Amino acid sequence: MPIRIVTTRLEFEGQVYEQRVVLEGDEPPVWDAAADLHVVGKPTPRVDGRERVTGAAQYTADVHLPGMLIGVMLRSPHPHARIVSIDASEAERVPGVRAILHRFNTGDLKGTSAGRPIFAEEALYQGAEVAFVLAETREQAEDALRLIRVEYELLPFVVDPEAAVAPDAPRVNTEQERNTISDEWPKTYERGDVEKALAEADVTVEVTFETPTALHNAMETHGGVASWDGRTLTIWSSTQDVFGVRTQVANALGLQQNQVHVIKHYMGGGFGAKFGAHNSGILAAYSAYTIGRPVRYMLDRTEENLAAGNRPMSRQTYRLGARRDGTLTAIDLRTLGNIGALGGWFSSVGLPAKELYQCENVRSVDVPARTNLGTQASFRAPGVVEGIAGLEVAMDELARALKMDSLELRRKNHAPRYQLIDQPYAVKTLLEAYTEGAERIGWATRDDEQRRYPLGRDGHLRRGVGMASQLWGGDGGPPAQAIAKLLPDGSAVILTGTQDIGTGTRTVLAQIAAEELGLPLDAVRVELGETEFGVFSPPSGGSMTLASVGPAVRMAAVEARKEMIEIVSHLAEAPIDALDVRDGAIINRETGKEMGSVGSFLQQLEGHEITARGMRGPNADGVIVRTFGAQFAEVEVDIGTGDVRVVRIVAVHDCGRIVNPLTFSSQMEGGIIQGLGLALMEQRFVDERLGAVMNPNFGDYKVPTIRDIPEIEIITFNHPNERANTLGSLGAGEPPIIPTPGAIANAVAHALGRPVRRLPLTPDYILNLLNGGE
Amino acid sequence: MQAFDHTTADSTTQALTILQADASGASKLIAGGTDLLTLMKGDLLAPARLIDIKPIRSLRYIRFADDDGLTIGAGTTLAEIGRDATLAERFPILPQSVRDAATPQLRVMATVGGNLLQRPRCWYFRGPYTCWLKGGEECFAREGENKYQGIFEQSLCAAVHPSDLAPALIALNASVEIEGPNGARTLPVSDLLQPPTADRRTESTLADDELITAIHIPAQPANAHGVYLKAMDRRAWAFALVSAAAHLATDDNSVMTHVRLVLGGVANVPYRATDAEALLIGKPLTPELAAQAAEAAMAGATPLTHNGYKVPLARELVQRALLAAAKR
Repeated sequence: MPIRIVTTRLEFEGQVYEQRVVLEGDEPPVWDAAADLHVVGKPTPRVDGRERVTGAAQYTADVHLPGMLIGVMLRSPHPHARIVSIDASEAERVPGVRAILHRFNTGDLKGTSAGRPIFAEEALYQGAEVAFVLAETREQAEDALRLIRVEYELLPFVVDPEAAVAPDAPRVNTEQERNTISDEWPKTYERGDVEKALAEADVTVEVTFETPTALHNAMETHGGVASWDGRTLTIWSSTQDVFGVRTQVANALGLQQNQVHVIKHYMGGGFGAKFGAHNSGILAAYSAYTIGRPVRYMLDRTEENLAAGNRPMSRQTYRLGARRDGTLTAIDLRTLGNIGALGGWFSSVGLPAKELYQCENVRSVDVPARTNLGTQASFRAPGVVEGIAGLEVAMDELARALKMDSLELRRKNHAPRYQLIDQPYAVKTLLEAYTEGAERIGWATRDDEQRRYPLGRDGHLRRGVGMASQLWGGDGGPPAQAIAKLLPDGSAVILTGTQDIGTGTRTVLAQIAAEELGLPLDAVRVELGETEFGVFSPPSGGSMTLASVGPAVRMAAVEARKEMIEIVSHLAEAPIDALDVRDGAIINRETGKEMGSVGSFLQQLEGHEITARGMRGPNADGVIVRTFGAQFAEVEVDIGTGDVRVVRIVAVHDCGRIVNPLTFSSQMEGGIIQGLGLALMEQRFVDERLGAVMNPNFGDYKVPTIRDIPEIEIITFNHPNERANTLGSLGAGEPPIIPTPGAIANAVAHALGRPVRRLPLTPDYILNLLNGGE
Repeated sequence: MQAFDHTTADSTTQALTILQADASGASKLIAGGTDLLTLMKGDLLAPARLIDIKPIRSLRYIRFADDDGLTIGAGTTLAEIGRDATLAERFPILPQSVRDAATPQLRVMATVGGNLLQRPRCWYFRGPYTCWLKGGEECFAREGENKYQGIFEQSLCAAVHPSDLAPALIALNASVEIEGPNGARTLPVSDLLQPPTADRRTESTLADDELITAIHIPAQPANAHGVYLKAMDRRAWAFALVSAAAHLATDDNSVMTHVRLVLGGVANVPYRATDAEALLIGKPLTPELAAQAAEAAMAGATPLTHNGYKVPLARELVQRALLAAAKR
């Protein structure tokens, strides 16, 4: 089939990329609202649920190979130090120790951060790699670790982001002049004339809002198990991107890409921190390759929380200007963010300010601060969660200043078109989401006396209702490929190179294939999480897996079905148009009669397997594809103890066609719970004098427990977004987390009758606020 | 964690014999291990030998005495305290105090004796920092990240005692029965738990070669009722920000004839608010009096940079605990 190369626009984690991709063949027409679907859209339990709950599913840390060595890492206890010397002689004599790697014996083995060596001369944060011990058992490796003597030259450090960007700040990295990404920063976006608009505004508000540094804390930590057989290096990697791991490992080891085989069959969570092999994976691969023994290196929880990424703090300062009637005339935003020691990008905190509301005069200044702390990583809607929280809190404050209902203010400033470049949205149902959510939460009665004061005005409980909006891309794009194989007995195998990072990808892809092949779901097996199938898939992130890979699977299934029907047409001597396939049986459209199973036809041929390829087509030109939605929260605050309880969340999201209502609601609930954690309790603590993280563990870094989780009501419009892709579906991974913290913050402010200025809304903060503090 | 030997003891006598035979003090008793193992994993302790006393059945009982007192074997688990029906009826403050302690999994393992001896959760103590409590010069929490630490200064250390059970036991005037090389002795829980000193950088006065065998709770005054309240920053699996144990008895005219008020999460060891007790005794409890008592309980508090919120929080819990106990 002839190929073509096209340039297409891809939005990933809030950033826009143009990329050139190869396409082949034509996609089937979109499943529109009238499409008659039998498997897609039905609540479908996970096809791999049994393996997951019985423990049969093999996660990376479960891989045990004969002769496997265990790696453990000695990490810098100091926030900034030069590693002068390392004496590992005593450690090497510990029984079972096979190798100790460090900067003096690994040359310039490059890691996955900014081209730096894994074992750099300068440790830039507490937790930076210093020496790696490989031994027969974990206990032996840990015993050896304690015997390594390292001479450190302590260097000045800075961990507070505001201090880091001050003129006289210590250098985070002595190789760099300024504590920022590059000389291009800070960066400013501006349209219109913000200062003039603010000066002319009837009403202005200034709001500073701070969000904490949050730690991903996926159940499965980063790491890998690697094995070198003299020809091929196989790595089981905890990754959201097997092809990215292949490239990184091949480059690090000087191997050809055909010598690296990456496997990720089951994932214990990534949340954006696992786009690649991570230094831990590179080290597992390097050790296996150089020593010739299989190696497992998985981070422990402390390492995970020091050295495997975070959602950076943000300090957002808004100035909003409006006319008396509520028309927004100016948005000015400065965002300070802590990118950590090696961050190379700035999260999209400013995106909501630029896009969510109709406004001619907008300025957003991004100020990245480099500090001697672990480097940031993408974390489920990076920046946009924080930006929505800040902007929506500021909008509520503007509504108070205008003495206007805050939902009415949002409706008044609704943006019908995309404003960064003037283009229409493919679909925008935000106003409908406002209406639906407001009705379900009881917005109209939110100020009723009995509702506000459940124990009366003298009681210690206050209830409040708040809301926030959601915008996200979630459209994915090419390149993404799939192969559909129809075997002689009428069963099918779908091959893709994507990953199921816990969202249910295996299940939804099986549904899509079963739909087009006309097979029952259990006749379709989906394989993913391997580079060896020869079908490229993009990283699983940015809510784009379904929207990228799903259409490729659909096209492959459509092509396979075409060949199947053609074969049956020959064998049954029936015209192609007269044939249909449903639930594994060939049906004569005219008579409605079953003509036999798919297998009964294919088995008449000698050894024929149908193999068909599918590819995700280009994204539509001239329109912007977005998920939109709104969440409403009702909270109860104990003004005596500062305790905040979320009573109820109503989540209304438009993610186009819902392929599987069960996995969709799992994504919604998971995102809302993670957002509730950020709103109420999650927070990395750092001692500024020591430059040290105080709570890098599950005991002290608090994530929500089942008792913290409220009633969650999920509403979706379930209309295909026909400009998005041939499924009409958008991703649902990130949308639910985006408005959760902002909605809770506004609900708490409503309950208390005064604004809140930060997250998390912990009892100490609430009590300080009620006792006159900020 | 470093390698260690593991020995199982069949009796307290055997456990003490092994413990005392080890002159270097390198042996440690282990029961539930829910605190000890975290200390070992954090490299705060590296005992050469663990002597397992968990299997000693004779340490595991809840026994009601004829005089209305109560004895609890030191090996009784928090889960057993939490589900004992008679205890819930006669000493409800005890099951209340363990209800929100740790997690169900931990409560099944954790023992009463070990719960009293657990070490602070202060980040500097638990982390790789040579703080005063670990023999260093400085308490880093005083000027550092002290949100969860104490508001009453009892020593150079700012850390708070993490136990939920201990404030309730002190409110009940409980004592521990101890066996050691010189035989048995009895010590009030309030003497077992004492602020660390320059020479004894731990919160317990138990000697290394001693063992707690039981907790004794004396008969309480007639009409006495107790309430334990705990504030957390998560609805499960969190140490107390502040907790309050109130135990009081009233006569026929609602006048308080007995009051004990103990706070957790505010000092090195559970903090008995004696000024507040003195203010309350001999009067009927009113909301106004409860507020005055709460104020008195906070007299002398010296909150640190990040824990000022504990003062209003403690005041609130004191009032609620007193009013709830009076209502029973």
